[in-house]
Amino acid sequence: MTTNREKQLKTLGSRKFSTMMMLPTLITMVIMTVYPMISTILYSFTNFRLLKKNTQFVGFQNYANLLSNEYFQSAILVTVKFTVLSVIFEMLLGFLFALYVDSLKSKKVQTVMRIFLLLPYLLPAVTVALSWRMMLSANYGIVNQWLTDLHLPVYNWFSDIHTAFGMLVVIDIWQNSPFVFLLLYASLQSVPKDQYKAAKMDGAGRLSTLWYITIPNLKTSLALCALLRTIDSFRIFDKVNLLTGGGPANSTTTITQYIYNYGIKSLKFGLGSAGALIMTVIVLVLSSLYIKNALKTKGI
Amino acid sequence: MKKIVSLLLAGTMCFSLATGVFAESAIEAPALDGGGATLTLALRSGTYADVIKKCLPDFEKAYNVKTEVLELAEDDLHSKLALDATNKSGAYDLCMVDGSWMAEFTANGVLANLTELGYELDDDIIPATTDICYYEDNLYLAPYYGNVTVLLYNKELAKAAGYDGSNIESLEDILKICQAAKDAGKNGFIYRGDTENNLVVDAMPILLSYGAWVVDEDNNPTVNTPEFKEAMNFYMELIATGDAEVKDDLIASVDSGAGAMGIGWPGWYVPTEDSAADYCAISGKAAADSEAFNANVYGVWTIGVTANSENKELTAALLEYLMDPEVQKSTVADGGVPCRYSSLQDEEILAQFPQYKVVCEALESGVYRPVIEEWTDFYTILGTELGNIVNGVKTVDEGLDDAQSQLEATLGM
Repeated sequence: MTTNREKQLKTLGSRKFSTMMMLPTLITMVIMTVYPMISTILYSFTNFRLLKKNTQFVGFQNYANLLSNEYFQSAILVTVKFTVLSVIFEMLLGFLFALYVDSLKSKKVQTVMRIFLLLPYLLPAVTVALSWRMMLSANYGIVNQWLTDLHLPVYNWFSDIHTAFGMLVVIDIWQNSPFVFLLLYASLQSVPKDQYKAAKMDGAGRLSTLWYITIPNLKTSLALCALLRTIDSFRIFDKVNLLTGGGPANSTTTITQYIYNYGIKSLKFGLGSAGALIMTVIVLVLSSLYIKNALKTKGI
Repeated sequence: MKKIVSLLLAGTMCFSLATGVFAESAIEAPALDGGGATLTLALRSGTYADVIKKCLPDFEKAYNVKTEVLELAEDDLHSKLALDATNKSGAYDLCMVDGSWMAEFTANGVLANLTELGYELDDDIIPATTDICYYEDNLYLAPYYGNVTVLLYNKELAKAAGYDGSNIESLEDILKICQAAKDAGKNGFIYRGDTENNLVVDAMPILLSYGAWVVDEDNNPTVNTPEFKEAMNFYMELIATGDAEVKDDLIASVDSGAGAMGIGWPGWYVPTEDSAADYCAISGKAAADSEAFNANVYGVWTIGVTANSENKELTAALLEYLMDPEVQKSTVADGGVPCRYSSLQDEEILAQFPQYKVVCEALESGVYRPVIEEWTDFYTILGTELGNIVNGVKTVDEGLDDAQSQLEATLGM
């Protein structure tokens, strides 16, 4: 028989063990996340400029400067526009791909399709950007050669103010639709087949089945996909920086590109930190919609 | 007798081998032994790094050191050097520095004092390229790669308009060639519109030809002066004949004849007698009867030793070796452009690469970008407004007035 004292000691030991097991993760998190985050918050209230020694506390001046700057405001708009467009089209295409592949009867064909559809997502963003730059080159690009052969007008895709933004959206959709496809395709496998059989027996058409069975069953996955893609699209940097550098005439300057141009390149880390925090707040606000919804669903 | 002949032959062979080796190697018996130490070089990627990499094996062997080369794009190189400068012990020993970073780097102790390390520049180096290397009478950098803006043009398209490299005498001539190319269904003038820095640098020779400049003698911004606006109006007319392209496309365009010309750098293109493109110096004259200004902008890549290097003496020895006239001359075949008379005026080299005559002249009278600590902010602001102007978002007056007021605010005026 164990006494109360022994029980207490056992619990204490188990707690200590749990704490010890969690400690490495906690330490890593503090070093990798908490410390940089606190530093960023602190820097954002200073005029910290790398190499300069006279760093001073400037209160909300960085935030005020950024929010009143027409190019930063334009960068927010460009980022939001980019996020909305790319997420909508990626969701739509990914969903259509998932439905199509799921509808294929041959498992072998399904596997082959899955591999081909996933390829763009597996490529590093830099490779994607450089490949597209070559394909869309005004001189030796294959796209312009096709257009010329078809007697269609050709464009200088990344230097033309009318096409640069659109091309970035297209490239992002091309690369990231497979991510949506993968997640939704996996979710489709878990939709109970009985529901489809019952719908068929009741004489439901394809659209009704999609609307009343498939979409409701994928609701959580769709929301999660949208959230993940929103966060990722909002942070877009590599493709913009490699393909347009934010130009022409700021038409593709996203928040991250703005921070790079005006904060990082000039070594103004105070200003850059404030920009990064403003971006984080916007992403959090957007994410909170999903989180709020998720909490509601779970009745919390 | 046979023995004597054999001995004589063997002796002659040994002697010739020895003299041959010493003649080829620029390294005399080294005073330092690196003891297997590793020197890290942070270099600008491209030809600039390639030519240095080719020279390293001899140095490694002679000094018993290893070298690691980090090749970086311009912006990356700038920020990595700045970030590393805040560390007590530096990750890089030898670094490549753009002339326009000099003010920022010397004011903040990024570079080691080469004079204190016992290195001095010799008289063979083109004097104008050394101005940027000194700070308070001490040497901090050595001019390694003689980059200076030149006019890259397609020979056929220029010929079709009645020109060759020798008679492009003013901006008017440039416009005529570009207009003729446009009329023939090609692109005329091609400029780089991808980054703020490129937008500014490509417009600079045009500004200079009109007697305009981005700052005055006291480094106050002067981007909305009448000359500046006149130059920009001409620039708008010129770029209307062509298109904005990235560097690689610009070179491909001019080489293939899809475009007539653009502002380039010697490191981009190696013209030969048979090549479709060539380059010439920019005359600095707006019209045939205008005043000729210095219109070639320096983009000289210099090399220096980082202040926090743990191998300063060895790195200074490496710098001295890389700056050696013979070593520098050996890089020409691989695209090197030394800032040295002994290389750029060498008859053998000129016979093979006649364009170096033009480069040498341009290097003798180039113009430095402003040596101010805030240069990155400066070109970002000006480049943004130039981007607005060339893309029709703002008029020349609006864009330049906005740039002036932002620059004045940034420079605390």
